[in-house]
Amino acid sequence: MTRKRALGLIYLSPYIIGLMAFTAIPFIASFYLSFTDYNLMRSPKWTGLENYIKLFTSDRTFRRSLSVTLLYVFLTVPLKLAFALFIAYILNYKLRCINLFRTAFYVPSILGGSIAIAVLWRYIFATEGLVNMVLAWFGIEPVNWFGDPTNALFTITLLRCWQFGSAMVIFLAALQSIDKSLYEAAAIDGASKLRSFVFITIPLITPVIFFNLIMQMVQAFQEFNGPYIITQGGPLKSTYLLPLYIYDEAFKRFDMGYASAIAWVLFLIIMALTLVAFWSSKKWVFYAGDKRS
Amino acid sequence: MKLHLTTALALTLASQATAADLRMSWWGGDSRHIATQEALKVCGEKYGHTVAPEFTGFDGYLEKLTTQMAGSTEADIVQVNWPWLPLFSQDGEGFYDLTELSETIDLSQWSDDQLATVTVQGKLNGLPLSTTGRVFFFNTTTLEAAGIPVPSTWEEFFSAAAALRESQGEGYNLFNAVKETAQLLVTLAVVQKTGKDLVDPETNRVAWTPEELAAGIAFYGRLIETGAVRSQQQEAGEGNVNLYEKQDWAQGRIAGSYEWDTTYFKYADTLEEGQTIDSVTPIRFEDAVTDGAYRKPSMLFAISRNSDNPEAAAEILNCMLTEPEGIDALKDTRGLPASKVAADRLIEAGMIKPEIVKAHEIAMAASGPAISPFNEHPELRGAFIDTLEEYSYGMIDEVEAAEAIIDAANDVLSDFDS
Repeated sequence: MTRKRALGLIYLSPYIIGLMAFTAIPFIASFYLSFTDYNLMRSPKWTGLENYIKLFTSDRTFRRSLSVTLLYVFLTVPLKLAFALFIAYILNYKLRCINLFRTAFYVPSILGGSIAIAVLWRYIFATEGLVNMVLAWFGIEPVNWFGDPTNALFTITLLRCWQFGSAMVIFLAALQSIDKSLYEAAAIDGASKLRSFVFITIPLITPVIFFNLIMQMVQAFQEFNGPYIITQGGPLKSTYLLPLYIYDEAFKRFDMGYASAIAWVLFLIIMALTLVAFWSSKKWVFYAGDKRS
Repeated sequence: MKLHLTTALALTLASQATAADLRMSWWGGDSRHIATQEALKVCGEKYGHTVAPEFTGFDGYLEKLTTQMAGSTEADIVQVNWPWLPLFSQDGEGFYDLTELSETIDLSQWSDDQLATVTVQGKLNGLPLSTTGRVFFFNTTTLEAAGIPVPSTWEEFFSAAAALRESQGEGYNLFNAVKETAQLLVTLAVVQKTGKDLVDPETNRVAWTPEELAAGIAFYGRLIETGAVRSQQQEAGEGNVNLYEKQDWAQGRIAGSYEWDTTYFKYADTLEEGQTIDSVTPIRFEDAVTDGAYRKPSMLFAISRNSDNPEAAAEILNCMLTEPEGIDALKDTRGLPASKVAADRLIEAGMIKPEIVKAHEIAMAASGPAISPFNEHPELRGAFIDTLEEYSYGMIDEVEAAEAIIDAANDVLSDFDS
C-alpha cells in the first residue's frame, strides 16, 4: 500500500468506523434478529420465519399501522412537493425583500421536526386552539382535529407539509437554472404563464422533482416525532405509523425480534417503491442531453 | 509483631469496601434530582466513595434502563419501578441479591412483608422506597361553590356529577378518567365488586370472569355517558395533555381524579390561587366487598449484578435509606419512606407535609387484595387502554371489550409461566 493510499484511508476511517458501528452492523444485526425471539434480557432464540408469519397472518395492528403509513405517505409527499414548488415559483420572482421571504419560508424546515414545534402544533389544533378560534370567527363549528380518527392523520400530514423548506430550496435552484430565453420565445408565440409552466418549467425540472420525490418519500415513511408527541398514535391507531409501532414493540414490549421484522418489512416497502419510482422515471424524467423527443 | 499488624490491617480493610467510583441512575422531578444528588454527596463523603448521578424524567427511563441492562452497562445503583421486576428479573437473577450484603445493609428497617414484595425466587432484588396507593382527590373549592358534599358512594358520586353540571354548567366534570386512570377505575370497580385482583397468582391467569370485567367496563361507560368524566374524544381533541397541565384542572372545571397518594403536590401546585384539593376516603359501591385499594411498593433501589463494587454500593444505599445524613438529604422526595428509621425521623422532624401524610394514610387504610405487578406490564396495560379506547369510541361493546382484554392479558401472562 502506498503512503498516499494509507493516508487516504486514515482520513476516511472516522466515517468508515461510524458507518460500520452505527449503520452497517446494526443493519445486519437487525436482519438476524428479525428471525429470533429476543427481549434484550435473554439471548436471542432462533424462531425462523415465525415473526414474519405472525406479521402477515394474525397481526391486526400491523395491518392497521401499514395502511395508515401508506395513506400518510401518499397524502404527504404530493402535497408537500406541490406546496414546495408553488412557493419556490413565487419566490423565483424578483420581489423586494425576496431574501427575507426565502429565509422566512425556510425556517419551518429547521424547526419543523423538533419536539417544541410538535407541542406547538398540539396547541394550535386543540379543541380550543388557534385554528378553531379562527373558524369560530367565520361562524364555523369547532372541529375535533385530534379526537376524530378521520381528522387526526390530516393534522399530522399538515405538520410534515409545513416543513417544505428543503424541497423548496432545491426547487428554487432548479427554477433559477432554467434559461429565460425559453420563456421569452414561448411568450412571443402567445403561450400563457400556465402553459409555459406546464410545458417548459415542469419538464425541465423533472430531475429535481424526482430527487425530491425519493427523498420526501423516504422521510415520510420514517416519520416519528409528530405523531409520537401530538397524538401518540391515536385515536384508534389512526396516526399509528409503522415507526411508532416499531418503537413500541422494541422499547415498550421489549420484543426486539418482532420489531426488527417490522423494520425490515418497512425497509423492503421503501425499497420497492423507490425501485418503482426509478423504473417509472424513464418515462417522465428528462435530463440534459436526453435524446427523447 | 509487624506481620501481625499487617495481617490485622488487611483483615480490617477486607471487611470494608475501598474507595470506589460508582454510578447511580434514577428518574424523577427537579426536587428529587436535587435531593438525591445531595444524598449521594453526603453519603459518598462519609464512606469515601464518589457516585456519578444519572437522572432523567420518567418518560424514556424504562427504555434507557432496558438498553443498559441488555448491554450490562447499568449503573451500580438503579432506581427500578416495582412493576418492572418481572421484566428484568424473572428468575431473581436480574439484580444483586441484597441478602448477601446484609452485613452492610440494615434490613431490619423493613418488614418481612415489605421485603417479600421485592423478593423474586428467594432473592432480594432491591429495597422498597415507599408504598404507594391510588386515592381520590377532589377540588373542594369547586364542590363547595356548587354546594355538593364529597361523595362516599358511587350513587352519590353520579348524583354529584349531575348536580355539578346543573349548577356550574356543561363545561364542568366531576372527575378525570383517561388512559391509566381509566384502566384503574375499571379495575377499582371490578375489585370492589369481586374482591379479586386482575391476576390470580395461583394460575397466573386473569382472575376475573368476562361478565365481571364487562360490568366494570360498563361502569366506565356510565361515567362518560353521565358527563361525570370527559369522553376519550374530548380528551384526544385537547391533545392528550396531562391533567395537571390542563387549564380546566387549574381552574377547577375538572373537580377530581384518582391518583397516587405521593403525587398530591403535583396536582395541587398547578391549581390557580384559591383552588384547593383534598384527598378523601375511597368511594364504594353499596354492595362492595372491599375498598378495592390499589396499593404497591412504588419503586425500589437495586444494586446491579454487574457492579464491580457491590459492597461500596451497599454502603451508599444503606446511608441514603437508614442513616441520618442520607435520610435528611432525601427527605420525602420518593414518598413516605418504607424504611422505619427514615419514616420516624422525617415525621418527628415535621419534614413530611401533612397533605402527603393524610393521602398516604387513606391509601394504606383502604382494604383490597394484593396487587400483581402484571397490572402494569406495558403490553398488558397497552392492550387494556387500547381496548377501553375502542369501547369509548363505540367500536365495541363492553362484552367484546372484556373478552379482548382477558385474551390479551392471558397472552402476556402465559409468557411468564414457570
